[in-house]
Amino acid sequence: MAEERGSRSGSGPKGRGNSRGGEKGGPRRSMFRRRKVCKFCTDKIDHIDYKDVKMLQPFIPERAKIIPRRISGVCAMHQRTLQTAIKRARLLALLPYVTD
Amino acid sequence: MSQKRLYELIYIVSPDATEQAVAELHTQVEAIVARLQGEMVRTENWGRRRLAYRIGKHREGTYVLEVFNGTGELTKELDRRLKVTDSVIRHLLVRVDEDLKVAERDRARRQAEADKRAAKGLPPLGQGRRRSGDDSGDDDDTDQAEA
Repeated sequence: MAEERGSRSGSGPKGRGNSRGGEKGGPRRSMFRRRKVCKFCTDKIDHIDYKDVKMLQPFIPERAKIIPRRISGVCAMHQRTLQTAIKRARLLALLPYVTD
Repeated sequence: MSQKRLYELIYIVSPDATEQAVAELHTQVEAIVARLQGEMVRTENWGRRRLAYRIGKHREGTYVLEVFNGTGELTKELDRRLKVTDSVIRHLLVRVDEDLKVAERDRARRQAEADKRAAKGLPPLGQGRRRSGDDSGDDDDTDQAEA
C-alpha cells in the first residue's frame, strides 16, 4: 500500500513534464496559438447565475454539450461553477440536454 | 435551532393553468413560508416561456421565481408540497447565500486591489501585461471590457 502511494505521488511532477515531451506532437509546437483566457476572469463576473441563459449559451454549442475548458479556455474554478449553473438551467428546461 | 438561510425557488406551472391558479399557487407558497417563520424577499413572474425540451406533454410553461429566507424544515415542506402539486411540472430549490457571499468577497477583494494600484499611481490592471506585437481584434475586446 505504502509503496503504491509513494509511486503515485512521484508520478505527479512527471505527468506534468509529459506535456512538454510529446513524441508525436512535433509540429504542434511550432504552430502559433493565442493564449486563451477565462471569460469570467477577464470580464470580472463573480457569480455565474443559472438563470442567465444568455451567459451560459456560448458554452453549449450545437449538440448542447458543455464545451471542455481546454477549448473554451475557462479556468478550473469557473468551469466548475459554470458546470453546476448549466446543469441547473437544464433541469429547469432553460437549456436543452440534447439537440439533434 | 436551525439557521436561517437564503433560498431561491423556481417552479414551472403547467401552461393549462390560468393566471388565477398561478397567483393562488404563489399565495400558497407565501403562506407556507410565513407559517414556518420564513420571510419572502422577492418574487418574479417570468410569464410563459418555451421549454428547451418537452416535460411530460408540455412544450411551454409559466416560470415563477421566489426568493426567501428560511430554515431547512421550510425547504423540506416546500419541496414536498410542490412535488405533490399537479399543476407544477418542475421545480428547483437552491440555497444561494453561500454563492452570493463568495461573489461579494471576490468583488470586494478586486476593489481593494484596484484601490491599492490606484494609490500607487499605477494604471488599472490588464493594460501593462499586454504584448506589444499582439494587435489582432482581441485587443479591441479588452478595451471594451475595461471601458
